[in-house]
Amino acid sequence: MAVPAAIELVDLAIKATTAYKRPDLGSRLQQTRKRLVDPNVRVLVVGEFKQGKSQLVNALVSAPICPVDDDIATAVPTLVRYAEQAKVTLVRETDSGSGELQQSERIDVPIGELARYVSEAGNPGNTQRLTYAEVGIPRDLLKSGLVLVDTPGVGGLGSAHGAATMAALTGADSVLLVSDASQEYTKPEMDFLHAAMQLCPNVACVITKTDLYPQWRRIVELDRGHLANVSVYADMLPVSSMLRLHALRTQDKELNNESGFPDLIVFLRDKVLAQADELDRRSASQDALSVCQQVTTTMQAQLSARTDPEQTGALIARLEKAKAAAQELKSRASRWQITLNDGVADLQSDIDYDLRDRLRQISRESEAMIDEADPAEVWDELAGWVHQQVAGAASANFVWATQRTRYLSEQVAEHFAMAGEVALPEIQAGATNSMAPKVAGLAQPEAEAFGFGAKGMASMRGGYMGALMFGMLTSLAGMALINPLSIGAGVLMGRKSLKDEKKRLLQRRQSETKVAVRKHIDDVQFQVGKDSRDMLRLMQRTLRDHFTTIAEEMQTSINGAVQSAQAALKESEAERNASIQNLKAELERVAGLAQKARALAPAQRVGVGV
Amino acid sequence: MTAPSLGVAVRGVLRRAIEVYRDSPEASRWLQHHVTRFDEPLRLAIAGKVKAGKSTLLNALVGEEIAPTDAGECTRLVTWYSNGHRPGVTLFPTQGAPRQLRIHREGQGALQIDLEGTPVEAVDRLVVSWPSTSLRATTLIDTPGIGSLSLETSERTAMFLTPEESPTAADAVLYLMRHLHGTDVRFLESFHDQGVAKAAPVNTIAVLSRADEIGVGRLDALTSAGRIADRYRRDEKLRGLAQTVIAVAGLLAHTGRTLRQDEYKALTTLNALPKAELEGMLLTADRFVRPDQPVDPPTETRLRLLDRFGLFGVRLSMHLLQEGTSDPAVLAQQLVERSGLDELRKLLAAQFTERRDLLKARSALLAVELVLRREPRPAASQLAMEVERVLAGAHEFAELRLLTDLRTQHVKLPKDVQDEAERLLGGDGGAPAARLGMSGETDPAQVRSAALEALSRWQRRAESPLSGRNVADAARVVVRSCEGMLADLPR
Repeated sequence: MAVPAAIELVDLAIKATTAYKRPDLGSRLQQTRKRLVDPNVRVLVVGEFKQGKSQLVNALVSAPICPVDDDIATAVPTLVRYAEQAKVTLVRETDSGSGELQQSERIDVPIGELARYVSEAGNPGNTQRLTYAEVGIPRDLLKSGLVLVDTPGVGGLGSAHGAATMAALTGADSVLLVSDASQEYTKPEMDFLHAAMQLCPNVACVITKTDLYPQWRRIVELDRGHLANVSVYADMLPVSSMLRLHALRTQDKELNNESGFPDLIVFLRDKVLAQADELDRRSASQDALSVCQQVTTTMQAQLSARTDPEQTGALIARLEKAKAAAQELKSRASRWQITLNDGVADLQSDIDYDLRDRLRQISRESEAMIDEADPAEVWDELAGWVHQQVAGAASANFVWATQRTRYLSEQVAEHFAMAGEVALPEIQAGATNSMAPKVAGLAQPEAEAFGFGAKGMASMRGGYMGALMFGMLTSLAGMALINPLSIGAGVLMGRKSLKDEKKRLLQRRQSETKVAVRKHIDDVQFQVGKDSRDMLRLMQRTLRDHFTTIAEEMQTSINGAVQSAQAALKESEAERNASIQNLKAELERVAGLAQKARALAPAQRVGVGV
Repeated sequence: MTAPSLGVAVRGVLRRAIEVYRDSPEASRWLQHHVTRFDEPLRLAIAGKVKAGKSTLLNALVGEEIAPTDAGECTRLVTWYSNGHRPGVTLFPTQGAPRQLRIHREGQGALQIDLEGTPVEAVDRLVVSWPSTSLRATTLIDTPGIGSLSLETSERTAMFLTPEESPTAADAVLYLMRHLHGTDVRFLESFHDQGVAKAAPVNTIAVLSRADEIGVGRLDALTSAGRIADRYRRDEKLRGLAQTVIAVAGLLAHTGRTLRQDEYKALTTLNALPKAELEGMLLTADRFVRPDQPVDPPTETRLRLLDRFGLFGVRLSMHLLQEGTSDPAVLAQQLVERSGLDELRKLLAAQFTERRDLLKARSALLAVELVLRREPRPAASQLAMEVERVLAGAHEFAELRLLTDLRTQHVKLPKDVQDEAERLLGGDGGAPAARLGMSGETDPAQVRSAALEALSRWQRRAESPLSGRNVADAARVVVRSCEGMLADLPR
């Protein structure tokens, strides 16, 4: 694992920042170090009901953690991560309402009781409002930061679980789509795969229960064909959890090979962990390089001032210009800020419009349906249909919003990089231009900072969608049904016939239902709109702060350079020589650090790095 | 029972409708078709998601392998299997005249039907005529799976079972599912039509299919599946959509009914192997058919066994042989019984075949209603009243309505009372013994006294001032059922 090497490098860089009195650079490195120490590579295990997800997780970590039974279904997501001592924690996160998660309640429970909290039997419909369960277990596979997430079965995209799982995908590093070998992919599964790939490109298809079905190879071929039809090329991994568990029990290596798990583990190690590892190395390398570069700037200027005192005046003039350019980068009128602010405003209105459009369609269709039927008779069906459609629309809107947001942040990064290069070519003297790759590395690791990960987990409790859904329950008792007394009175008075009264009440029921549906759709629009606005605001703030900080660092470097250049003018000959020696030595040391940093970074891929 | 008079009444309505609409060729044709249909065997459609096991179950019910099955998606067209003197296939295109097709059968394998170049989209349905006693009372209809990757394939089933405007061409439905899924519930709901007598849950039976796989091939898989079926049976949502839920292992049933001597021999040879070796082979499907094993029976045979029995079937057969079964006929019978097929056939007999006239009458009246709706005319008002009279008058329909209302909770009775009411209304079968919950009781005197007891109990309930209006109405219908039962019993 290269992660210890990365941590070592970051530690060295932190030492350098203290030595060269640049605490501002040090704080950013501390953040990077925190992320390296606890990598948290999240692998989501998703799929439809009873396809073998929980058993797969159990077989991977060779422990009966997730409850498995013919009749049991998982209701609450379960995270499995490394811990020295085995333990189980239930987590309940409550939304304070301002869009940011506030309280996180953690309850420890005895290991054997997990089934009571995460299965449909023990906790039907997640009435206990748990966000997720966390299981810590000492296993080598998990040591390098792998976190396996067992999810409730998706019952089609329009289900509450489907929408919630979709939201959680944005915070995932990889997704294992699980389907058993009894039949080829169905339409709901393909729809889900298609949507999932847009949110998390690192998807692998696992085919389970190969021990039971003699035709499993044919199924795998058919599935590969279905994927090829829609131009999706994902790894296909046929496995048998039962065989693996048996092999682990009997310590039989041959059986373990037959189970297909070695290939799965290789996938997790070589593709998922390695990729996360690469990301870590790249961001550590870039951070260290940036520190080196800043520090070099200052020292280089100092050196020039001393080795060539006549040119000091010209040097200071150039540095002042650079200072102005750095100031410009910070200012609100800079190109990247404009891109960011305009982009966010545009995106906000686009997302709003898209959601409103989708919901309006649903509203129109439901009104047409209500006109044709008696709500008292079709209430359940109608409510079910509306919930399903609304969940689907919110999901689709969310997927689209996420993609656009990512694209925008990449654009902003690009503009910042371009401006930086143009404005500060002087600073680059002697160092490689590492500005552009640095900002490109921003996108993925910062996903957590955007709150996608955290929010994703919260929405998986179903409370997000669930609360909205339950909000529409207008009981039939409230509806205008025939009241015998009113009928009696009307008939006695001879004013109304029974038929007229029935018709009037039907119309009243229909309009009441329309109002209820409209209100629900408005509620969803309100809540989902607010959430997407919060997400955008958060992203805007994060990006702005991030780049402003970088610009400030550059400013500090340049200021430092100016000051020491001015100071150099006042030095005596002897002092000057001593300084030159010192500076040359320090520069060499920093160059050494920069070299180490460059060596750590993985070879740059063609095209934009993640 | 009053069943004959119901049939007579409905035939009368149909005849009168034909007269009223004799000047409209479309309506006449439609009504005439329903007169013919009324005398035909019951039409039972088998529906469900892709790979739910529909064709396999159909083969098990017929007792022969005729419907083709495959690992990948197979059935793409609605295919009818009805009794006939001679085997034959007729293709009914969406447009144009029907025509005969060639069929070909390899040995005892499934039928191979050659569409002779007609594209699948141009075919409305295939009708296979096959001489079989199982098909005498019931025509079986195999449908393409719902949720297929090909939308058109799923649509064909949807159009067949839940056509937009007209009542469905099937009288009853066996809905197969491997576990309850959103798609299943949605489909069952759409099959629940709003028409005559609202009888839909009463003519649908849900089957938890491929029951051996629910338990991932463990020996106790079928018991486990049975428990899950019990749970579904009590589920509120399903009760309003289907009459009952039963677990069936279709492959096992089919193979049990068609067990061959050479297969039995192969199984006994396997059983004779040393225990450790056999256990190793039964671990996974791949291991069972490994060619490198110097074992008798040969790989070919083992492959065929796996195809026919499934891994669970082989494990179960080994278990049964070890327990002492020594006769192929006994083994076959045990396999069939454990598969749940016997119970399913009993259920079909009680729920569908016995109610045949009722279900057919319902379909016919729905058809007449459609004509009245589509082509309203003044002379038809008499006809409409007559339809309503039959519906209101026929006690069977009242029973059906009340059964549905009880199941969908439109009418609420206290729990223990509700079970008894459903039974007396014929929910478990129309015979007096079934209505009284006295299965196997043959002493007529005992049956009669039980019926009298039930009658007086429910009369009291109907007249009690403490019973709400709904309960009293329901009790009155039950009383009428008891009276009808007593009238039929020998004095």
